Amino acid sequence: MEEKVLTGKLYDIQGFSVQDGPGIRTTAFLKGCPLRCPWCHSPESQSYEDQLSWISMRCQGVDACDSRCIKACPKGAIELGGTRLDAKTMEELQIIHVNRDLCDNCGKCAEVCHPQALYICGKDYTVEELVQRLLQDRKFFKMGGGVTISGGECLTQPEFTYQVLKRLKEEGINTAVDTTGFCKWEIIERILPYTDLFLYDLKHMDSEKHKAVVAVPNEPILENARKIAAAGGKMQVRIPVIPMFNHDEENIRKTAEFCKELGDAVTVIQLLPYHNMGVSKYMRISDKPVAEATPPSDAYMQKLKGIMEEYGLPVTIH
Amino acid sequence: MFELKPVSDRVQKIRQKYRTTRPRIDINRYRLVTEFYMNNPQLTGILKRAKNLRNIFENLPVLINEDEVIVGWVGTSYRCCALYPETSFNWFMKELRAGTIPLREQDPYDIDPEDEKYVLETGDFWDKNQMSAIVDEYMPRYHRDNMIGNGVLFFGAKDNCQSPVGHFVANFWNATQKGFGAIRDEARDYMAKLEEEGLQGDTIFKYNFYRAIDIVCQGIINWSKRYAREAERLAAIEENPERKAELLRMADTLDWIMEHPCRNFHDAVQCIYLYQMGMILDGQLHGISYGRVDQYLGHYYEQDIANGTITPEYAQEILDLFYLKVAECNKVWSEGATKSGPGYTSGQLMTLGGVDAEGNDATNPVTYMMLQSSARLVLHDPPQALRIHEGTPDELWEAAIECTKKAGGVPTFESDRVIIPALMKRGLPLEVARNYCLHGCVEPGVGGYEWCQPGGTGTESYLNIANAFLLAINNGINPMRWPGMEEAPSKQTGPATGYLYEMTSMDQVLEAVKTQFDFFCKWQCACINAWESMSSFHMNLPMISATMDGCMDNGKDVQCGGARYNSTGNSCIGLGNVADSLNIINYLCFETKKCTTRELYDAIMNNWEGYEELRQIINGEVPRYGNGIASADQFVEFTAHTYAEAINRHTGPRGGFSAGCYPVTANVIFGWFTWTTPDGRKVGDPLTDGISNVQGMDKNGPVSFLNSVLNFDQSLYGNGTLCNMKFHPTSLRGAEGNMKLRSIMETYFEEGGMELQLNIVSSDTLRDAQKHPENYKDLVVRVAGFSAYFVEVFKGCQDDLIARTELAL
Repeated sequence: MEEKVLTGKLYDIQGFSVQDGPGIRTTAFLKGCPLRCPWCHSPESQSYEDQLSWISMRCQGVDACDSRCIKACPKGAIELGGTRLDAKTMEELQIIHVNRDLCDNCGKCAEVCHPQALYICGKDYTVEELVQRLLQDRKFFKMGGGVTISGGECLTQPEFTYQVLKRLKEEGINTAVDTTGFCKWEIIERILPYTDLFLYDLKHMDSEKHKAVVAVPNEPILENARKIAAAGGKMQVRIPVIPMFNHDEENIRKTAEFCKELGDAVTVIQLLPYHNMGVSKYMRISDKPVAEATPPSDAYMQKLKGIMEEYGLPVTIH
Repeated sequence: MFELKPVSDRVQKIRQKYRTTRPRIDINRYRLVTEFYMNNPQLTGILKRAKNLRNIFENLPVLINEDEVIVGWVGTSYRCCALYPETSFNWFMKELRAGTIPLREQDPYDIDPEDEKYVLETGDFWDKNQMSAIVDEYMPRYHRDNMIGNGVLFFGAKDNCQSPVGHFVANFWNATQKGFGAIRDEARDYMAKLEEEGLQGDTIFKYNFYRAIDIVCQGIINWSKRYAREAERLAAIEENPERKAELLRMADTLDWIMEHPCRNFHDAVQCIYLYQMGMILDGQLHGISYGRVDQYLGHYYEQDIANGTITPEYAQEILDLFYLKVAECNKVWSEGATKSGPGYTSGQLMTLGGVDAEGNDATNPVTYMMLQSSARLVLHDPPQALRIHEGTPDELWEAAIECTKKAGGVPTFESDRVIIPALMKRGLPLEVARNYCLHGCVEPGVGGYEWCQPGGTGTESYLNIANAFLLAINNGINPMRWPGMEEAPSKQTGPATGYLYEMTSMDQVLEAVKTQFDFFCKWQCACINAWESMSSFHMNLPMISATMDGCMDNGKDVQCGGARYNSTGNSCIGLGNVADSLNIINYLCFETKKCTTRELYDAIMNNWEGYEELRQIINGEVPRYGNGIASADQFVEFTAHTYAEAINRHTGPRGGFSAGCYPVTANVIFGWFTWTTPDGRKVGDPLTDGISNVQGMDKNGPVSFLNSVLNFDQSLYGNGTLCNMKFHPTSLRGAEGNMKLRSIMETYFEEGGMELQLNIVSSDTLRDAQKHPENYKDLVVRVAGFSAYFVEVFKGCQDDLIARTELAL
């Protein structure tokens, strides 16, 4: 019997990824996440499965392609939708709509959509395929840069992430793991020797509120952070500052106290102000309306930074 | 930290004037030159040019505007432009008769009705006396009989001299440190010696050359002294005692410089400016550049500061005023040409940074002052090029990146690591090559020592390799079908290499492309040589030769090979189109067999009509050049090397040719005249910019993009390559963003990249600027070889800029 080759499912790879750890990095984004953060700016990262995505701006109109996608769909899930104005020709194009109740993400429509307005989000890589792709960029990994494995939650594909990190270390690449911290300790313990830095999210210090908003409690997250610190791991703590959720002074102070407890393990704390740039991405995979908030002001972010600095912590705003 | 210091009130006032004054056409120079040419048909060659220039120096009205410290101008009103009928004038007469010059959308000019009348009455004189008319007569017969309409060469049936030589750098070390009095005396000594020997053999040619040098040197000295008298006159009537003293200092400087070696920073700045203006008055305002400004000004500044005779603030103000004077320079181009160098730009490029002859870092205080002036005045003109090497100081990196964020694309970044070896490949010794500067747009050469003529003939030095590719798959026939043409064209203007649908392997396609490239590179150089045979006789440049290293020793003008080192530049356009078209043919017709060569050929010849699905496949699912995908990038090296090697093997009257790849914005204009290409481009769409991929096709970010363009040996491109990158501002915030930007540039240079220029502005901002130009008057963007105020760039070029992918997260 043929042995099954280990693969991981990714939804993107980005070079010159300047927000995901130190230096110039290339980030591999793995698919699937146990959390459901309402502010998530990569909604396509949440599901573990391949997903049909649709970008209306790329659709050339059904007249241009003879409605190939509509004809190709075995479920009748592709329907005529609204129109869009083509900026170049100033023509109104009749575009489509994906009926998510009928669509089973089979991808037959994407196969015939040449402009790739419809495409399957999700691609399987073997460990070696991914490592070779990442190594292409190695000459640009300067200023402490390297590779970041991110998600979704990459630790929900634990074996794949472990193998990739191990191979990258063999190649002498600086590695970072961007994680929610929500997983079994054994998984983190196994990758620790191959991980130079964790980008570690702390969303809320109150477990009830944490669970109410992002669907999971925070105890395992906090516990894993303590264990990483005890084991000598390094962390960049990332706090997404979300209005009406965790932006209040009390939560920020509690987070600061917790970071203080982690000691030298924390290299820097990054405050990430909420932004609404991910909103358009929801429309690619779903019809459901998405909550949108007003980003916190620069002045407010400065205030939070000041509060955390009172604890003697290194803080930056991203 | 790079901090912008406040600008003085008067500098602010002049800047405001610069931004709000609409340029006028001034006919003072035109009148002097026309009368001189009409009255002196007996004069030819170098003496005609020398006496013509001296006549201008001695009779052109002088103009010192309020608040100016650095002076010297081509006419009698602020921001006016002179006319240069000697090179090419038919287009001007045509547009003047049509009355369109003040009305045109791009770079309009006003002209006084009386002046217009004078030009209309006298302009026909130039019909047979302009260089275009002369060069047309001397074009090779084969070209004239068999090649017109090929669409690859810019040389055509007529008007084969559309721009002056330009794109050169005089020797500003000699101008400032020696002075034109000493050069004049040297010429007179040579003449006395030759007279004593009896003008034996061919020394009479040298004798004529020295005579011309004597005439122009005395001419520019006289011009400077006329300005000194004007400054004295204004001082006499000036009521403000401070300005009065300043005018007297200016008079002292103007009386002294040009004849004698400069004594201080003010002398030196005034001297280089007046010298450059002298060359501009000679008619060469076309990418003529200033060379290594920090290198020849630095010691004057440091000496004055040490002596306590100048304050850093006043020195910076002088530099500001000098920059605004350079920015004021402009030239009326034909309406078509304004689409290539848009925004009243004169492209007087300045170089800063780099290494000295021993290879040590050459940064000095003036290096930083240059960036300070550009950034705090938000000036795209003069353009600046920063030479980067391993020892470039951290502070200079930071200052340059901050400056490029403020004044979009100023400076550009140039790599010593690649450029110095590239220059050595064309025969320059190491110590000489280390002294290189950038000419015109991005062309490396050792200004003041090498006559590298990097702009070649000007407009005609561009080679449209996208069209050469089309000839390769269409049996040597240019498929361009003009509106109203019923039948497909059938005139064969290139070698008969067969049709795409007859080709059965990728090797056959490549062979056909190589045949066309070789053929057209040969004829490109042949036509340039024909042009040079005439321009070296009728259009000598004694004003430049006076300082250019080698000319005085050799007794020869730069145009006749007098300089110490010589070469001629060239540039191709459409590298990305050809490389990607080959990739697409390979992928679709030979690898995946998704279509036949016949289908692809028919789709191209029908401009995709009826083949929309195929075009969607090409633009959607075919792996494309620019994404770091090895299979898609595999033909870049073939394309780049085939062109460069073909150009580099040819020779001209003075020496070899040197390949380049930079388009100014000619990629947009050439696009209008280039038929559909297999890369999904429709007829009329812009060709690719510099060494970049097809617009909008790089989707994997900057690292993958650079991995793609690093696929060929840029050191074969001694005449420069151009690589434009557009970053979204949010991805590069703060000191860390600067460091990351620096890091990506350093890696590009380490891996063999030659030049990078950046736009750090979002597409949203640019779109908004198109809609609300009134809110973006000062938004400077890097267009191509030039930066410009975005709102002053023509629409097609704005769109092209927006279409170039924004590299960000």
